[in-house]
Amino acid sequence: MSSQLPPGDPFGALGDPNRRAIVELLGTGERSVQEIADHLPISRPAVSRHLSVLRQAGLVIERPRGTRRIYQLDGLGVEAVRAYLEHVWGEATTSFQRLAVGSSRADDEG
Amino acid sequence: MIEPIRLSFEVECALDHAFEVWTSGISQWWPADHTVSGEHGLTVVLEGRQGGRIFERSSSGEVHVWGEVIIWEPPTRLAYTWHLKRSVAEATEVDIRFQAASEQTTRVEIEHRGWERLGNEGEPWRDRNRGGWATLLPHYVTAATVDPST
Repeated sequence: MSSQLPPGDPFGALGDPNRRAIVELLGTGERSVQEIADHLPISRPAVSRHLSVLRQAGLVIERPRGTRRIYQLDGLGVEAVRAYLEHVWGEATTSFQRLAVGSSRADDEG
Repeated sequence: MIEPIRLSFEVECALDHAFEVWTSGISQWWPADHTVSGEHGLTVVLEGRQGGRIFERSSSGEVHVWGEVIIWEPPTRLAYTWHLKRSVAEATEVDIRFQAASEQTTRVEIEHRGWERLGNEGEPWRDRNRGGWATLLPHYVTAATVDPST
């Protein structure tokens, strides 16, 4: 469960499908806990716990609006995840290119 | 029609046990996260008969009904309407078949259908229910699994 995750790991936080659903919902706009809970087949306390994990992972920020708390995606954290994936993808593309070029040379020589 | 959610898996226990854990034993494994109130100490009840209700009851006596049994054929089939966190008019259907794969292994097949009753909300609600099932079922498998060494 969530308590076993190392706090602060965004990929750990995104490993849970309910938390991914929360992130997807917040991608369409900021919402209160109740508004998020209305869209998920899990209890409101469960949504609060998931939000806490997402907050510790730097993916979500919380701010007060009147008497309620509003949640929205944390641009910095989401950007860090995107940058990481892009970096890995860039490396993978480069090594794939190297492999492809290498094998076509081998074909030429063969 | 909106494509149903279909899930199947095997659990290491006899057929009767697999059915009983899902039904009369539901309160032992159903996690509070997957309820309306989410309150600790609540009880989950599945009334094992045609027309029986499935509901949560908090320690203070507050009741939230989640659905009603529409097919009761122990130990091989169970189906119920399902409107956890929705109105009764938006009830979907959960249909579960239990088959003996061997003496100590049961195959469980679940079809969760009827999302079109929710109109435009049907598809997103179905997709979020996939996450619900994915986080619910490990609790059932753990509760139903019989360790052969014990």
